[in-house]
Amino acid sequence: MSTLRWYGDLYLTMARLAIIEQFQYRAANYMYMIGMVAEPVVYLVVWSVVATQQGGEVGGMTPRTIAAYYIVWTLVRNMNIVFTPFGWEQRIREGQLSGQLLRPLHPIHYDLAFFAGWKVVVIVMWLPIAAVLAWLFRPEIDPRLSQVAVFAVAIWGAYLIRSMLLWMLGMVTFWTTRVGAAFDFFFTAELLLSGRVVPMRLMPDWAQTLARYLPFESTFGFPITALVGPISDAELIEGLVRQAFWIVAGAVGVALMWRRATKVFTSVAG
Amino acid sequence: MRLFLIFLRIGVMNEFQYRINLAIQLLQSLIAVGTGLVVLALIFRQTTTLSGWTQPELLVVMGVYTIVGGIVGFIIEPNMGQLMQDIRMGTFDYLLTKPADSQLLVSVRQFRLWSLTDVVVGAIVGAWGLASMSATVRPIDAAGFVVFLAAGAVLIYCVWLLITTGAFWFIRMEMVQELFQGIYRAGQYPVSIYPTWLRTILTFVLPIGFAVTFPSEALTRRATVTWGLIMIGFTVVLFAATRMVWKFGTRRYSGASA
Amino acid sequence: MSSGDSAVSGDHASIVVDGLGKTFNVPVREPGLRSAVTSLFNRKTNDVVAVDDVGFTVEAGEIVGFLGPNGAGKTTTLKMLSGLLHPSEGQASVLGYTPFDRDKEFLRQITLVMGNRNQLQWDLPALDSFEMSRAVYRIPRPEFVEQRDELIELLDLGELVSKPVRNLSLGERMKAEIANSLLHRPAVLFLDEPTLGLDVTMQRRIRSFLADYNRRHNATILLTSHYMADVEALCRRVMVINNGSLMFDGDLELLSERFGGHRTLVVTLSEPADLSTYGEVVDDSTPSRPSIRIGGDEAAAVTARLLAEQPVIDLTIEQPPIDDVIERAFGVEADTA
Repeated sequence: MSTLRWYGDLYLTMARLAIIEQFQYRAANYMYMIGMVAEPVVYLVVWSVVATQQGGEVGGMTPRTIAAYYIVWTLVRNMNIVFTPFGWEQRIREGQLSGQLLRPLHPIHYDLAFFAGWKVVVIVMWLPIAAVLAWLFRPEIDPRLSQVAVFAVAIWGAYLIRSMLLWMLGMVTFWTTRVGAAFDFFFTAELLLSGRVVPMRLMPDWAQTLARYLPFESTFGFPITALVGPISDAELIEGLVRQAFWIVAGAVGVALMWRRATKVFTSVAG
Repeated sequence: MRLFLIFLRIGVMNEFQYRINLAIQLLQSLIAVGTGLVVLALIFRQTTTLSGWTQPELLVVMGVYTIVGGIVGFIIEPNMGQLMQDIRMGTFDYLLTKPADSQLLVSVRQFRLWSLTDVVVGAIVGAWGLASMSATVRPIDAAGFVVFLAAGAVLIYCVWLLITTGAFWFIRMEMVQELFQGIYRAGQYPVSIYPTWLRTILTFVLPIGFAVTFPSEALTRRATVTWGLIMIGFTVVLFAATRMVWKFGTRRYSGASA
Repeated sequence: MSSGDSAVSGDHASIVVDGLGKTFNVPVREPGLRSAVTSLFNRKTNDVVAVDDVGFTVEAGEIVGFLGPNGAGKTTTLKMLSGLLHPSEGQASVLGYTPFDRDKEFLRQITLVMGNRNQLQWDLPALDSFEMSRAVYRIPRPEFVEQRDELIELLDLGELVSKPVRNLSLGERMKAEIANSLLHRPAVLFLDEPTLGLDVTMQRRIRSFLADYNRRHNATILLTSHYMADVEALCRRVMVINNGSLMFDGDLELLSERFGGHRTLVVTLSEPADLSTYGEVVDDSTPSRPSIRIGGDEAAAVTARLLAEQPVIDLTIEQPPIDDVIERAFGVEADTA
């Protein structure tokens, strides 16, 4: 119990610092978030045009449910922003990692707590953006209470899974520095199989099947669909179970990789 | 122009020391375009045209989009990034003391050669689209394409320089890049698919429509003389305005720092 | 789980090092595309010995200066002792722990301060970073407040801790950095160039703080510095390392005898004379007051001869400054950056 309380204190303290710090940068944060809105707006318009041309519907989605999908998308996308794998090289080179290794705490907690705090700022700042988008594109959304509840949990599940995935990806930097292209492959697969470009149900069946065995949908498509629907309660539970599975798998993966990575690090760099 | 060539040569020599990175960059261009192609394929699983554009025509748009992106990454982005940094670090003063036109100097100092892989990959995709189209390209279409492409690049350059000179003290460099790259994605599709308000912004405020859609329209026989003239007129006016703002800005800058 | 009274009590050795060595495997890359490609698969490497067979013991409460030119292996040794680097050979024990196991209890009792590294949150006041250290090191609130206020006072930080760190000067930041590194009251301090780049007043301030901290908490301090003044003011004992090997370990005063085995005789004569037969004349700008350099062990004999054979009015024997000693010992320019 005392360990749990300690972690609680740790996370609250670090998240609070992140909130103060990021709030100082609210202008920069806003610019960033607005730049990010362009991407879903493009998808939204394209699929709305397709739906309109097909007599008002594509894959069961109308322009207004498509609008709902991509507006919720903007929040989920923000929840998906975690420490970038490209940042590891700098972290190693500039010695931040050494500093963290000297402290009696697994470094992933710094990132998890810091970005979680940042998310709080982001969610608050997102609300007006969502309002403007809703006014412009007239989304249709009518979630049940269970959907809202699952969504509120699932965005944090998505955050956790993606944090750990990108941590593992970033740790590849310990073994080789030519990681750019490898990262690109990962991000492309993620882009296509997460529901980011296209809602998964507009994908061919084989791609949907493939996505079921990968973690990407749990980080993106599932939280959106949880709120936007259509989705049954059974599917909501199933989605949460999938997220739980990937959280456990991610934690194990990070722990194993981290142990090997520190071995490499302490034998060459320090 | 000689200045340009000298800087270009230095850039080329620097970059060729990293030929392996060139291969990686090519791979990354291919991944980016490949993703775009997959999305196009997904769209055309559901429909046969998008606002009157066929799949081969949209391939042309994607080709032009990639080419323009390559040009921006090759010369505009690195130079504007360097300029922002110089203003921030105070090294901009040195530039003003050089015996050359300062605007030209800041615009052709840096090159990211790798970005040209985007131009090559974009050209291949565009050519593929053209070959799959039923109509052929007449010389007049090709000429319109070249003129519009050049004018589009100038427009993007002007807007970027305006943002850089006009707003450097409260906008960070990465943010301009981030914002541009975000909004530039809109150019993957012809601006005619967007709602009117958005189309107007994408044409006259952030001229991605002019830079990507217009050259593509020339190649797919959609261009009209009226719009062609509007675009060229707009380019000339914006370029002149940028020039004036630059002169005014540098005069004020040296006044302030003296 | 308290961090106070584990492994080591007062009189035990706090650091024991035996046969410690570190060899880095450095990839060699020839220019050209072909070797760039082949090196992806078949890397040629060179072994570089950074630290070689180093052994010493430091008692609890000691302050030891660690000297040597750049690249001698000082930082590598400190990193091995703080668990950042895995040694290639030999053993090290700090407070009874093996550092590279990076046991959490071990990490809670040590600190490593590097003059050029920054642990504080850049955009926030140092007080906020202190809060974070409190959470990370699990310092109970009352202890934390006490230690924090003491450090703020001793380091003369005052209002500085409420300003964003980015607005502090280099010296102020270093003081805040040191305070942040000591909040958990470590028993062992590894300090790598703690005064690097600071002005003289600030250096002095940090020096007296360290001496004070050492007295109050009986903390063990292992310190590297480019500034001889740091070492002279703080350390009775010094260790000298060069090319990875320990060349000297003992009293600061003995260091000059061991390496700077020479003395400078300043002789005042009633009339000028040639003293080159007694030793190397290093300064004869004033002919009646030349300086000669002689070996340390011949000082007595030469002095006697001089007094007997020359018209000596006055004679002083000077020990060389430590900077010279180091320079002499390594045959390189001492880094007095």
